[in-house]
Amino acid sequence: MRDVYVLGIGQTIFGKHGDLTVNDLGAAAALAAVRDAEISPKAFQTAYCGTIFSPPTPVQSILFRLGVDRIPMVTVENACASGSSAVHLLYRDIALGACDVGIALGVESLSAYNRKVGKGLLAIEGDLQGRLALTMPSFFAKLCNRLMEKRGATIEDICYPSVKNHKAGMTNPYSQYKTEVTVADIMASPMIADPITVLQCCPQSDGAAAVILCSEAYYKKNNRKEHRPPVKVAASVISVSGAEDASFDPLEMEVMIKGARSAYETAGVDPAKDIDVVELHDAFSGEELAAYEMLGLCKRGEGVALARSGAVELGGRIPVNPSGGLLSMGHPLGASGVRVVIEVARQLWGEAGANQVKGARVGMAQMLGGVLTGLESPVVAGIQILKK
Amino acid sequence: MSKQVIFYPGALEERDGKLVQVGHKCRDCGKTSYPAVELCPFCSSGHTEKVPLSTVGAVFSYSVTRVPVGPFKPPILGGYIDLPEGTRVFGQIRARVEDVKTGMKVKVETGVIWTEKDGTEVLGYYYVPLQAEEGGAKR
Repeated sequence: MRDVYVLGIGQTIFGKHGDLTVNDLGAAAALAAVRDAEISPKAFQTAYCGTIFSPPTPVQSILFRLGVDRIPMVTVENACASGSSAVHLLYRDIALGACDVGIALGVESLSAYNRKVGKGLLAIEGDLQGRLALTMPSFFAKLCNRLMEKRGATIEDICYPSVKNHKAGMTNPYSQYKTEVTVADIMASPMIADPITVLQCCPQSDGAAAVILCSEAYYKKNNRKEHRPPVKVAASVISVSGAEDASFDPLEMEVMIKGARSAYETAGVDPAKDIDVVELHDAFSGEELAAYEMLGLCKRGEGVALARSGAVELGGRIPVNPSGGLLSMGHPLGASGVRVVIEVARQLWGEAGANQVKGARVGMAQMLGGVLTGLESPVVAGIQILKK
Repeated sequence: MSKQVIFYPGALEERDGKLVQVGHKCRDCGKTSYPAVELCPFCSSGHTEKVPLSTVGAVFSYSVTRVPVGPFKPPILGGYIDLPEGTRVFGQIRARVEDVKTGMKVKVETGVIWTEKDGTEVLGYYYVPLQAEEGGAKR
């Protein structure tokens, strides 16, 4: 396996862009990444785009606008890990020597999706459980209930990631929300699925993100940002769950535990002491609280204590979602898996501004998605570890 | 009589004039999966047989949705129900919100779960609390 480097990144501001198409959003992010990398788009040898609800062939529709054509291009769908999967496939192509440089995009317009199918809670179309009203919030409400029953989490603990992440989003120029919230505000907002209120849910968003990855040889020849320390993708894992029976506990999702362990082994890092920053899938506040232990940021059963210690805040031992996370950044589904990777790159380069984790050397980007009948849900996790 | 359809193809079958949940029991690994699919989802064996699911189970975890979802009006009680054969099934629970607890015993019933605008009745399953005399919790 060859080393894979981050050459450039770009994104749109996340939020409501009802007047822009997914192609407009994707082209803006791709152009920003090309300008950041200071290379010609003609250099790309392959391209991937993660999305869930876009019209067909977004990757060709977007990249043609930058003069990129006649190279292999694939659009990938993998629930909330769609963007992670685009990054993963590009990483693999470069690591295995199939190409030297390429772009991974992620894009989504939930404004366009809502115009097409109407507003409402998201469930997987045609799924048995979905037909019986199992939606993303109702699934994660069960996770929150288990956190309270088995981990001693209080409502304050469940709300904590939302409070923390909304605060962090205040100083992120790309975030959808610029509003701080208190536990009282969160619990006063409309109830969606007990105990999940509106302010414990990420917003529906439009946006795009892009990352340009390359081989070591290409990086040495073409990197123009000499002030930036070289940042490598030290591991990339797409982890998929197994068939579900009554032994499954969503507080101990194998898809996340094994996926993270595999990524740590490949990257050669110990999550208890080596990870400096984490950007993860906080579609729901309680989801982040449950993730700490599954990602190995603390011992099993100690996620609530980790949160209460302040360790996951900016300035703490292991800041989680210093960008503001999905809760404040917004969550244009297919874009988020790419966005978390470029967020970590920004941190390792020291370019995260007011949201910078001092001295960050190793970071993890994680996504989780897909609630389906028959499989341990969520069904897919995407994990990337970046190192400088 | 109005037209009737089953909410999800293959999820329910008629047995002795009653609609029942039918899954697949694997003769190789012994697991029962629901709904029935092509091969055993645990071991890929094709040696599966159709079996009715147990009608009584325990609530593993549940939630109460407070906004409308598709044809359903809030509050929507939904839970994962663990069956004695080791199968976990998701279903709505028809009960008062305050009467539902994790671990409580429930039994399955089948019937109309919603009616389409054209009058088509959609048949499905749902769970109800098991009464004390049936082995359920005392109120």
